Amino acid sequence: MNLTVVKNATCTFCGCVCDDIELHANSERIVEAKAACILGKSWFLNHTAERAYPSALIDGREAELDDAIAVAAEYLDKAHLPLVYGLSNVTCEAQREAVSLAERLGGVVDSHTSL
Amino acid sequence: MRNRADLVIYWGGNPAECHPRHFTKYALMPKGKHLPRGRKDRTMVLVDIRETKSVKAADIFLQIRPGRDFEVLTILRAIVKGQYVNPAMVAETGLTIEQLRDLVDRMKRARFGVMFFGMGLSMTRGKHMNSSAILTLAAELNAYTKFVAMPMRGHGNVTGADVIMRWTTGYPFGISFDRGYPRFNPGEFSTVDLLVRGDTDAALILGADPGATMPQPAIDHLARIPTIVLDPKVTHTSRLARVHITTAVTGISAPGTGYRMDEVPLPLRPALKSPYPTDEEVVRRIHELVRVKPDWLVHQPRTTQQVF
Repeated sequence: MNLTVVKNATCTFCGCVCDDIELHANSERIVEAKAACILGKSWFLNHTAERAYPSALIDGREAELDDAIAVAAEYLDKAHLPLVYGLSNVTCEAQREAVSLAERLGGVVDSHTSL
Repeated sequence: MRNRADLVIYWGGNPAECHPRHFTKYALMPKGKHLPRGRKDRTMVLVDIRETKSVKAADIFLQIRPGRDFEVLTILRAIVKGQYVNPAMVAETGLTIEQLRDLVDRMKRARFGVMFFGMGLSMTRGKHMNSSAILTLAAELNAYTKFVAMPMRGHGNVTGADVIMRWTTGYPFGISFDRGYPRFNPGEFSTVDLLVRGDTDAALILGADPGATMPQPAIDHLARIPTIVLDPKVTHTSRLARVHITTAVTGISAPGTGYRMDEVPLPLRPALKSPYPTDEEVVRRIHELVRVKPDWLVHQPRTTQQVF
């Protein structure tokens, strides 16, 4: 089996963000995470590229991504004080987009830091 | 820190189990420029309310009474300044005055001291006051030597969230744009408080699962209002949300940047290709749809929007 090797991969499980992990992966899953700790190993090995979940859910029913995005935009736009929360397990690029959206909405943006 | 910190203090945290490589890769074991013998050149002090696996790695373990962190920190600050300390107050902390004096002595003698504080300090009785006390102690120790304090961050890129919000709004968290410009007020605009009071009427949750971690009244409010969840998995929060959108996993199938807890940005190198879009892409698409709707502010003031 052909394995892709990613050197100096970055682990985003905990705040240490170790960037010296060597990942061996096939097209579907990571089979080895060298240098990772026990938490990092389970983080890398338990996430796959499979379609394990539906693209989107609206009111608990499976839905198309485009519809879900439209419904989400509608809810957020109608709200007087929408909240954008979390931002911990996402990239800085996504965080920037989220702050920008919160500003457009006139809402509140907050992270785990406030807990 | 790696090259200079010869006194390493962990307060209210258990890195041996929660940040397994913190000792070996960052703070304790590495040989540094001014610490050629690595671990042997460092003293490690652990302050906690109970014996954890991290105790084995410590030179000195100070077991304090639960909920007395603020008192211990304040007494340490008094000893640093040579002020009188009430023996009755020392007795309440679970430590002796000799232990506290010894710690202050080591702090002052250190060439570079660092205090890592965990959730045992920042999430227990006193919360923000505890964090404030340890930061003040570190600041005051700089009258004698170089000293810093740093929170041990749990989630992957929560440091990035602080940095990005500081950069874009000037504040690290708990920010409201309801007047069209950013205002910062933890307690008023922090999520748990907003939800428990029922102040918000919609929520977009990404990179978090408050349905599994927040107090019940906050979760109840999330179930009442339209909640939208972006997550690689269908989470507890997704189950009470109106909309769930599955996204790629940060760092595994989604590329981007992540911040280490000492605020060093690192590129993510995903090894897999996800069938799902990234959080970044979904948020951008939601924003595009919101953008074309009539603006809630008649006059959009000059704001951080221009940064993007």
